[in-house]
Amino acid sequence: MPVRQIGRSPDGRTRGPSYSGERVQQVRFVRFVPLILAAAAVILLAGGPAGAQNSDNEACLACHTAPGMNLTLPSTEVVSVTIDPKRFAASPHGKALTCATCHPANVEIPHPALTVNTLREFQKQATAVCQTCHADRAEQFSQSVHGRAVRMGFDDVPLCTSCHNPHDAARVTSGAYRNNIPQMCGTCHAAARIIEKYGLRPVYESYSQEFHGVTTTLYKLTTPAGPAPAAVCTDCHGEHDIRAASDPASRVNQANLLTTCRQCHPTAGQYFAAAWTEHKTPGPGAAPLVWYVQIFYSVLIPSVVGFLIVLTVLDLSRWATDRLRGTRP
Amino acid sequence: MSAEMVDTGKTTETVVRFTLPQRIEHVILIISFNVLAFTGLPQKYFYTAWAERIIVLLGGIERVRTIHRFFAVVLILEALYHAGAVVAARLAGRERGDMGVAFGDVRNILGDIAYLVGLRATKPAFGRYDYRQKFEYWAVVWGTIIMAATGLIMWVPEVVTRWLPGVIVPAARVAHGGEALLAILAVIIWHFYNAHFRPDIFPMDPAMWTGRMDLQRLEHDHRTEYERLTQLTQPAQLTQLPAPAEPHQPEASPPGEQ
Repeated sequence: MPVRQIGRSPDGRTRGPSYSGERVQQVRFVRFVPLILAAAAVILLAGGPAGAQNSDNEACLACHTAPGMNLTLPSTEVVSVTIDPKRFAASPHGKALTCATCHPANVEIPHPALTVNTLREFQKQATAVCQTCHADRAEQFSQSVHGRAVRMGFDDVPLCTSCHNPHDAARVTSGAYRNNIPQMCGTCHAAARIIEKYGLRPVYESYSQEFHGVTTTLYKLTTPAGPAPAAVCTDCHGEHDIRAASDPASRVNQANLLTTCRQCHPTAGQYFAAAWTEHKTPGPGAAPLVWYVQIFYSVLIPSVVGFLIVLTVLDLSRWATDRLRGTRP
Repeated sequence: MSAEMVDTGKTTETVVRFTLPQRIEHVILIISFNVLAFTGLPQKYFYTAWAERIIVLLGGIERVRTIHRFFAVVLILEALYHAGAVVAARLAGRERGDMGVAFGDVRNILGDIAYLVGLRATKPAFGRYDYRQKFEYWAVVWGTIIMAATGLIMWVPEVVTRWLPGVIVPAARVAHGGEALLAILAVIIWHFYNAHFRPDIFPMDPAMWTGRMDLQRLEHDHRTEYERLTQLTQPAQLTQLPAPAEPHQPEASPPGEQ
């Protein structure tokens, strides 16, 4: 789910149904009329093909850099339409495309009314736009477990803009983005509603407690923008091509697991893959040795500590008794 | 202080408890144990605010782990030295004091509990090291072996899993954390009480600092050892050196106690 763009309540549920007759709102449109007029003037004045691209974008950005510009969809979901011009210009999209490339309908001002009612429809529309150039990724995605779920009609499954911000496309290469990948995947994979609905395992919780997850969490404390050295979700599972672990083509399928480990642990021994507890909670059926050690210490620590406390209290009370009786100076 | 002692008629004769190398070993143990605990606990309790503060204070998780591993090596080297020193002393027939655990220690524990609850009037006669000290010693031996083994497994899991099943890596992680917690709690409760907070020795037992113990206290706390030494030689000859220059019993426990 796109953390940046949506107006969903924290648990991921969409808000209540739209009431009939409500139209897409262009919020605070009136306030930007002077700006829009200025932008229109820029478009008219900046003639010539060489300057067309930049000036087109400038016309759009004349309004769309205002902080807090939101679209409220009929479903009451909110989409931010504020663009950071610096980040957009620095991204491959900003260098190669104009706003109109992806938003051809919106060259007119005022923009025509949106044809979608919900955020999901909005995302699907965006995904169709992405696919016009990123056909390779779209093909990978359609083969993935997420792509299959999309075809099966499940509307909780991430689409392009759930993970990517097309107006800041370079962000995916940054350390900050990498460090946030567990939380990004956790938007769904830590959400109780989605875990329950699809019978998912609590992979986010187990990741955040095992070595890689702990390292990533702690690394971010002092180095939020540096790429965490420990594995994040995508290092093992892939990105657009994530498959179910039971799929023989999955990187985390038992047959491929050691190869995947050796991406980061090139000298890993033959039994190394079993060091990974596969997001399972240790128990009699999963990593039993870990479970036995847990039980051992959960018995040993209270027993020893209890025994030592008892002896200490006895020692102190004997001393105090002797003092009270006057048998100890 | 020394003059006061003479005034009260208290003996200042002492007996050697720990040699200088042993006391240096103890200082190395103090330093490495504390640094390892300070850099290890935030990793065990990574989800707490105090853990985050310590990690930020030390400059990040990678530096915390570097420090932790450096002092782990220090402790392992110290442990190897200790084992070597014990073996060398055995081979040379030198006396190091009996840390061996025997049935007598069980009897002493029961006897001491009986004394503490008031079932008997006197403490059992302890040897050079009583059961409390033997417990601590063997806890350190056991703990160091467990911590070193599990720590090394986590340090080089790639190598270990060439021969051993992978599940020992997460198992080592659990054992490392559990053993660490046990060791820290044992030190806070047991060692701090027996070596620092016991009313008759507060604020600290000077034996590990000066290497020496008052004959009078030896007689009271380690009677078997006292009797063994007095059989070997005359009490006056027990003390090879005069009393340590520094006061061994600060104001908190005035002369005449015990």
